[in-house]
Amino acid sequence: MDRRAFLQRGLVGGAILAASACTLHAWPVQDRYQPQGNLQCLDPRTFVVLASIAARTVQDPVADPVAIAHAVDRTIALSAPEAASELRQLLNLFESGLAGLLLDGRLRPFTRLTPDRQDQVLAAWRDSRLVLRRAGYTALRKLTLAAHYASPTTWEGVGYPGPPELVEG
Amino acid sequence: MPFVSAAEWTPPKSVQVVVIGSGAGGAVAAARLAAAGFEVVVLEEGGHYQKRNFRMREDEAFPQLYQESGTRATKDLGIAILQGRAVGGSTVINWTTSFRTPDLVLDHWQKVHGVQEFGAAELRPHFEAVEARLNIQPIPLEESNRNNRLLWDGCEKLGYSIEVTKRNVKNCFRSGYCGMGCPVDAKQSMLVTYLPEAVEHGATVVYRCRVDRLRTDGDRVVAIECSELSEAGPTGRQLSFAAERVVLAGGAINTPAVLLRSGLGDAFTGRRTFLHPVIATSARFREPVQAFYGAPQSVASHHFAHRGERAGFFLEAAPAHPMMLALAATGFGEAHRSTMVELPQLTAHLAIAIDGFSPEETGGTVELRPSGAPVLDYVLPPRIWEALQEGLRTLVRVDLAAGAEWVQTGHDPALRISSEGALASLEDHPLGPGKVAVFSAHVMGGAMVGEVGRSVVRSGDLRHHRISNLHVCDGSIFPTSLGVNPQETIYGIAHLVSERWTQHWKS
Repeated sequence: MDRRAFLQRGLVGGAILAASACTLHAWPVQDRYQPQGNLQCLDPRTFVVLASIAARTVQDPVADPVAIAHAVDRTIALSAPEAASELRQLLNLFESGLAGLLLDGRLRPFTRLTPDRQDQVLAAWRDSRLVLRRAGYTALRKLTLAAHYASPTTWEGVGYPGPPELVEG
Repeated sequence: MPFVSAAEWTPPKSVQVVVIGSGAGGAVAAARLAAAGFEVVVLEEGGHYQKRNFRMREDEAFPQLYQESGTRATKDLGIAILQGRAVGGSTVINWTTSFRTPDLVLDHWQKVHGVQEFGAAELRPHFEAVEARLNIQPIPLEESNRNNRLLWDGCEKLGYSIEVTKRNVKNCFRSGYCGMGCPVDAKQSMLVTYLPEAVEHGATVVYRCRVDRLRTDGDRVVAIECSELSEAGPTGRQLSFAAERVVLAGGAINTPAVLLRSGLGDAFTGRRTFLHPVIATSARFREPVQAFYGAPQSVASHHFAHRGERAGFFLEAAPAHPMMLALAATGFGEAHRSTMVELPQLTAHLAIAIDGFSPEETGGTVELRPSGAPVLDYVLPPRIWEALQEGLRTLVRVDLAAGAEWVQTGHDPALRISSEGALASLEDHPLGPGKVAVFSAHVMGGAMVGEVGRSVVRSGDLRHHRISNLHVCDGSIFPTSLGVNPQETIYGIAHLVSERWTQHWKS
């Protein structure tokens, strides 16, 4: 894509993204992965998107996408206030059918795709020519994977015996 | 009440010396000034965690001890930044590697950046003093863990020079948890050395106290304005008090952020921030490596630190606990999991680029977000990408020479290379922002020392060029990166400059 085409697409994209932000709430998200308790940064909608992403990025038999999304929510709450709004924006963009149509040729929201198609969306963000999309993919990937593997529940499955017992004295 | 939270503290109307930040720079300065009889208050935004809190768990350590819970990154998210945030600063979570500043670097600062009075001869007695105080000594090679030993072996086989490093530890049992706070106080961090010493001499350390801005009038700071914090963030209570002198030691990124929030921004403040950008490999060995146990870093190769016209790099090892590996391993889903399950068999080796030594390498810029929180905008120049590419090639060769079955890179998706012949495949996968995992654990610059009109603080006493009672004392004064781990340079400079202050300020 040359620069001019990119700019045109960028402008059209901006308009569609703006429209999609307005229409987003008309689309119901998946019923799975509802939050279990209070949220500090995310709203119930972006929470479900994040948990759906975690369900694809984290392939571990003991993984719990809802627990992962809650852990990310707590982590972001300790960061700069801007981090929370940026994460919500990113998740809304990731979910958006209109943005998906523009960027990846899909109309369905991310949470309503099959697991295989969801993996294709993640790969499309990863392999994008746009640094911003690659950064968004990296952020979501790292937040979900770090939140999961910080938990001692993962230790056995990766062959980590855990810290040594300290004896007083 | 030597260590006190902001919630429990009522500031006096005026303080003789306020030190902002309790890490490598602030703690040494506070101890020396308090011992000389000055009334000292140290302000620290992080919490006061101690040995009993250090339970060697990543899910507890990162929110407690790291900036932004360990999620700090450059503006385009291209570089993940590990930086401490606690009483003791990054010294609580660093991996204890200690180097004096290379003479070549100090000479470069003098010749190219006009830095005076920080020469090798002037710093030598101060390095000797902190080395004695912090028990900085070389670790015998036999005490290296297998992860470090394999880096050593690979370098030896290829004829690359490599040395054992010095560490600031005492009675260390090499658990491997330096990065989560030392559980037995073996690490001679600021938490157990210079800060208690400052307190013995009457200093007060106020934690969970964030400096929002310095209020200035003419050429003087007239008030320090702070926010009381809880574990969850600002409580809403503001504290304000006067100080005769201010020592700013919040560390690179946070020190320039305080200056910017105080309206002291100019063409130099926040500029020339360097990171020692890091690229990593994970190599699989048939026999367990267990890179999660043992002293995390005990060897270093500076064989490629000087590459003529090109930017140099050096090689070191890193600890690999589950979350750390999860961040370093690229890909998602099954691909990511296939790396995770190899954890006990994997090494973690680093190639660390030395940035800031050519005119093209201008470093990153600290900016403020609307909330006042800082973010570093740093897009790596081609010279540094070339150093990372060559560093990666070198690491793969070293790991293979050490006997690795395969070596995995930080590309996304990751490449697995199992023979010298396959090394050429690296050329088909050029590095670039968002295409490969890049990290930093060494944040430097942003309030550099040097000549008027080219820097933020002046030579000799590190005084702000325009504000007569404001000094900077941390890694943000560096005009370049160092080519070695930075903690000892910060200790040495803080030790030297606080001696000068003691002499000047008494008279």
